[in-house]
Parts: sequence; C-alpha cells; structure tokens
Amino acid sequence: MTPPADTESPGYDLHDLFKVYNRRTVLAVPELSLAARRVHALLGPNGAGKTTLLNILAFLSIPTTGNLRFFGRKVSFVEKELRVLRREAVMVEQHPILFTTTVYKNLEFGLKIRKIPRSRRVALIGESLELVGMERFMDAPAHRLSGGETQRVALARALVLRPRVLLCDEPTSSVDVENQAIISNILRQINAEQRITVIFTTHDRAQAADLAHQTLLLDHGRLVPARFDNIFSSVITRDENGRAHCAIHPRITLKMASVSAETAALRNPRIFIDPRRIEPRRNPDDHPAVNQFQGRVRRALAANGAVRLVVDCGVSLTITLSRQSYREHRILVGDILHFSIPPAAIEPLNSGA
Amino acid sequence: MDILMDSLVSALVLVFTLDAELTAIVGVSLKVSLSSTLVAGCVGVPLGFAIAFTDFKGKPLAITVLNTLLALPTVVIGLFVYAFISRRGIFGPWDLLYTTKAIIIGQVILIIPVVTALTIAAISRIDERYRKTALTLGANGLQTAWIIFREARFGIVAAVIAAFGRVISEVGISMMLGGNIKGFTRTMTTAMALEYDKGAFTLAVALGLVLLGLSFGMNSLFHFFQGRTRV
Repeated sequence: MTPPADTESPGYDLHDLFKVYNRRTVLAVPELSLAARRVHALLGPNGAGKTTLLNILAFLSIPTTGNLRFFGRKVSFVEKELRVLRREAVMVEQHPILFTTTVYKNLEFGLKIRKIPRSRRVALIGESLELVGMERFMDAPAHRLSGGETQRVALARALVLRPRVLLCDEPTSSVDVENQAIISNILRQINAEQRITVIFTTHDRAQAADLAHQTLLLDHGRLVPARFDNIFSSVITRDENGRAHCAIHPRITLKMASVSAETAALRNPRIFIDPRRIEPRRNPDDHPAVNQFQGRVRRALAANGAVRLVVDCGVSLTITLSRQSYREHRILVGDILHFSIPPAAIEPLNSGA
Repeated sequence: MDILMDSLVSALVLVFTLDAELTAIVGVSLKVSLSSTLVAGCVGVPLGFAIAFTDFKGKPLAITVLNTLLALPTVVIGLFVYAFISRRGIFGPWDLLYTTKAIIIGQVILIIPVVTALTIAAISRIDERYRKTALTLGANGLQTAWIIFREARFGIVAAVIAAFGRVISEVGISMMLGGNIKGFTRTMTTAMALEYDKGAFTLAVALGLVLLGLSFGMNSLFHFFQGRTRV
C-alpha cells in the first residue's frame, strides 16, 4: 500500500499515443512525461481531450495506438493487467457517484477488494475521512450528501486506497467556493505529505498555476506546450498600410508585429499574448505603436516566484510580473490598471502543430 | 344487486372464518404462483442482468423479442405446453398434465419475459458512473456486476413482484394445464370461473376479495420498491 521509492522514474511516459472515435482523432500525444510525486494540471476548453487523456491514465480507456509506461513499466492494455494497474491509479470523476449505502461502506468497498483486514479498514477509513473533514458523516447515507460533501467523500474513497496516482476530473468545477478551497488544500496536502502523484483537469488557469508543478494545455486533443494563458480566438484584418490587426473581442483590436498569409487566411486563428511582456503603466501612454488598454484587477496570485494578475478588460487577461515590479506598481485587487501590449508580444498559434 | 350484496356478506363470513375450502384454494394458488415466480426469478433475473450488462450483436433484437413475449396470451402458452405434456406429447410419459407442476411450467414461461424485461429496464436505469467507479476502485468484472446489481436491487425486486402479480391472477394456464381439480389444482381464478358457471357467487366473491387483497398488497410492495429505485 505504501508507494515505493520512485522519485527517479517518471510516473507516466506516453509515446505516440492516439485515441480515435468514429474516425475522429480526439487525442494525439506524440510525447509526454509526467513526473512522479508531482501535481500536474491538464488545462483546456471543453472537448479538448482532457477527460479522454485522464481515462487512459486511469486505465479505464484503451488508446487506439501508442505506448504508455507507468512508473517505468510498459503497459500492454490487457484487461488483467489493467485491473492490477487500476489499483495504483484511482480516478475521481467530475460528478462522482457514491454507492447507495453509508459513507463508511463506500470507503470500505475498495479496501475489501484488496482484502485489507477489518481492523485495518476501520483505521484507514477513519484517517481518510478525517483528511477530507468528513469524519462526522461516517455512518450517513451517502446519497443524502451535498455536491461538495459528495466530492470530498469520493476523494476520501480514492485516498483510502493509498494510490500512487490520484486522477481528478475537474475536482472543483461543481462545488461551492468553500469546498473548492478545501479540495484544493486536500490535493496539495496529499501530494506534500503522502507523496501521491496528482493529475487533475481544470478550466481554471489560476487554480492550475496555484496547485500544479506542471501545467499542460490541451487543445483539440493535442498538447500545446507551456502556453496556457492568454490564448484567444481572433479575427485578423489588415489596414491600408498592410499592417495586421487582430480582434479578440468586439472592443479589443490589437496591432500585431507580423502575421503569415497562411494564418491570416484561417477563419478564427488562435493568438497568444505573452503575459510576461504585458506592461502595467501608471498613466495611459499615447505611443501609437503600442496597444493600450485598461481593466480591473480581479485576482493576484503568487506563482513560481512571480505574481500573476488576472485583469478584466472585456476579456480575462493574465499579466505576469516580477515581485519587484508588482511592489513598485502597488497594484491591489479591484484597481483599474492601465497596461500596454507590445505588438511583438502577440503571436499566432498553430494549434494543429 | 341483492345477489351481489348477499354474496358479499356471505363471502366476508367465509374469509373471516377462514373457510376450509377457501383456504385450500388460496393455498394451492399461492404455492403454484410462488413456485413459478421463484423459478422465473432464478432464470429471468440473471438473464436480464446478462443482457443489460453485456454488449453483444443482436441485443436490440433480443430486447424486442422479450418485449413481444410480454404480450403472450396465457391460452397460447397453455396450448403450447399442453402439446408437450399431454399423453401424445414428448413429455407425456412424465404424467405432468393436470398437476400443479404443469401449471408452474406454464406460468414460468409466462413470466420469464416479464422478469427479464423489467430486470433489463432496472439495470439500464443504473448510472454508467457506477461501473466506472467500481472499476477505478479496483473491482473485477464480477465485483463490478455486483455493484450494478446492488444499485438495481429495488428495481429487480419490483420486477419479481410484478411477475407474481401476473401469475396469481392468470386463469388460462391454470385451467388448461391444471384442469381445476378440487383440492389439487384448483386455484383462485379457476375456482372463481367454476363458481360463476355454477351460478354460486359466494365462494367466487370471497376468492375475488382475497385476490384483490393480494393484488393490492403486491402493488403496494411494487410501488414501494419502484419508489426506492428513484431515491
């Protein structure tokens, strides 16, 4: 039950992994390595393939083609083997369902399957429910719990099995703010204390940045490396001088440094605005070559030695500042912030790449 | 109207004094119906579970055939079984005709489709996430099936109760295969038909009251379990 020493090997290694449904490729991952004992976030819009990938990583779905290694061991996707692997990688669904019995018996199910003795089961269940703050509900009928409580019991039901990997499909998307914070803390705590590898999907970029050591962006079933902030669908036009502009909102049109004819010909090309190159300004700047905007600061988060501001300017824009720059500008949540976006900070994205 | 009222009063007396003939007939009915329900449950529940739980070619056709068999008339089954167990039939030497066993065989054929179709419906209503949850918690195929079965248990019990309700009130099979022999194969429904033919309503009304009471009890149980599936 205790995870063996596996810090050296990656938890998952994927190679040329494809999933095809009805002749449509819903997932295409040429290479992906997910480190063991870390927290990984899978970010992306609906239909991006996040849940498909999560199901494969949980050994609940078989890829159409490709190779997968789990803690160094090659997975052959034979049902008998998958059943063994499932005992090490447990998934909690976006809307988890509890068996129509007590909370205790829900947690006991996986332990009984693993033939854990009764006395040990009682202790493990108690610990797990305490971890998620649900120990009072041990004998409660599971189907009478609220959404947030159900999510926490589902987490406890997975964690009581002491898995090597916990996979969560949008763990906070269907719960209230209080439960969101509780669940985020549980994920952080089990990774830090029990060294469980956590992989979760989310729409929330801030949550991904806050919780995860590594964030992966999926778009149309493909991994878009590193960039997960400030990706917008746009309409590209050219002015009389041939200069490219992209509209990401009816009221937000940005001057671009350059754009290829191929990208300009696309219907709604995706563009990326580098959050590190967006500059806050004390006052509006009248430099004509620079894109000028203002917006209200909605969130400020410390992440990886920097500060990430989420600014609402019609669209939700992320600005990454150094701590020093953040201090200098004395930015508070709720402030109206002026900022500039250099044309060179705007890059067309080729999501099909 | 006077005949009905007089019969009703006399019938109530028979019921409350636990008349020997009445209790014997009710006893035969219950014995036959419970036996056929038990056998049909043992066959229909696993069959329905297997059809609902597994994917195979021709599954929609199998379900359509089962649904068609729900409307099978009792007299058709009576005739069909008679052809097999009468003296000239292939099971003639077993001397089954005009025994309670013959009624049970016919009733089992009548309600296996009922139990199977309602079990399929009960299993199909179970959320797919139960299967996925059981798998991710490490369950094998059998353990996953058990979880699905447990979640569908009230619906399955309701299916069995519905089947019992069907056989306790059927008359065609009991009459054709049982022969309505007093003290042996006379069931509530065949006795009622006979009493009606004789123009003696008292026992018929008394049996009708018992049958109604049983039907009410069965329906109450059925709705109780149906309701539990929706919790």
